[in-house]
Amino acid sequence: MVDYLELLVFDPLPEHLMLVFGSLLISLLLALPLAILCLKNKHLKTLIIGFANLIQAIPSFAVLALVVPLLGIGFTPALFAIILRMMLPIIKNTYIGLTTIDTKTLEYAKGLGLTDRQILFQIRFPNAYPAFFSGVKFAAVLANSLAILSAIIGAGGFGVNVFKYIHQYNIQSLIYSIIPVILIAVGLEITLILLEKKLTPVPLQKS
Amino acid sequence: MIETFQMVWNSQDLGTKTIEHLEMFFWALLFSILFGILIGILIYKKKQLADIVFQVLNIIELIPTLALLILLLPLLGLGSGPTIAACILYSLLPIARNTYTGLVTVNTQYLQAAQGIGLSSKEILLNIRIPYALPHIIGGIRIAIVFTMGVVTLGGVIAAGGLGQSIQTGLQFNRPDIIIVSSIWVGILAVLFDFFAGVVERTLTRRNHLG
Repeated sequence: MVDYLELLVFDPLPEHLMLVFGSLLISLLLALPLAILCLKNKHLKTLIIGFANLIQAIPSFAVLALVVPLLGIGFTPALFAIILRMMLPIIKNTYIGLTTIDTKTLEYAKGLGLTDRQILFQIRFPNAYPAFFSGVKFAAVLANSLAILSAIIGAGGFGVNVFKYIHQYNIQSLIYSIIPVILIAVGLEITLILLEKKLTPVPLQKS
Repeated sequence: MIETFQMVWNSQDLGTKTIEHLEMFFWALLFSILFGILIGILIYKKKQLADIVFQVLNIIELIPTLALLILLLPLLGLGSGPTIAACILYSLLPIARNTYTGLVTVNTQYLQAAQGIGLSSKEILLNIRIPYALPHIIGGIRIAIVFTMGVVTLGGVIAAGGLGQSIQTGLQFNRPDIIIVSSIWVGILAVLFDFFAGVVERTLTRRNHLG
């Protein structure tokens, strides 16, 4: 049992978590400024949202594979593919969140003498939380899903065992190897739901 | 470039693989639409079920694609069976949720008019609610199309055939030409299907707003 845990859980865990959290962090750092830029520049918005819709339709496996001729195999190319795939739902949802705001609220804010910057950070952002977080949740679950798959391009993690045991058709070991990944997915979702609740100002919370 | 494309197309028999791919895609989508709409109508009729059904479907959505395929292996073996089943499981949520939303958000004016001329609740469901829910339902199907394309492609790694298989061949033998041609071809198919579904969705939405 201890050997099982070692081989199937603890060995692949660090690489998996680095893929998931690394891609989540970098995607957020890239996506948030881009979403704000979309708010300021309509041409850029059309371009970025159009590109986002296009990439979202392409199967993840194809995106992951296409990175190989460009960047080779291994951890970094996989990270790049995952970021490419998950950034777009975050940008799109953040943009939708920032723009679907009651015009009255914006007028009140201007009436109170708030600067554009204050309106962005204190009015638009809190209002965007529900859409933003649903984008981040979707992206996190996607990253987790792609992280296990990316072993096929040599990124390590849980997928290494999965592909090994698929070839041997060892169902029991296969099930053991995927349980941690499912638990991580559930953990990510719950953490993000709690984080959203904590960050949302009381007046905006749904009862 | 066209030469490379032709060479890969012939050597990997991409024509046959495309047909395999689309066959799985259509069966999966057909059953997803059928079950998804049925679940949507069921929870519309029994609203106390809505929360629990959506919660279960939400949990399925969290499971990584490869993990869901593996969970289905003991039941359905390798190949297209678990692939199609996984497509359906993922597609239920968007279709059922949009069907439900479409059915409950019909303009009350239409409902009052329908009641006024004496339609029964069954007639209202069939003649008023479902037609007005149609753009929503198509919206859900559009999401399902993207999911299904993704899962069918991944089915290649559990011996389901289709275009995912040639992507995997390319990766295994380190052949950039096979990887590029198969991936781009699958990407083009996915984008085209999404585009057509988008056109249908917009047309129906416009018709509803006019009528």
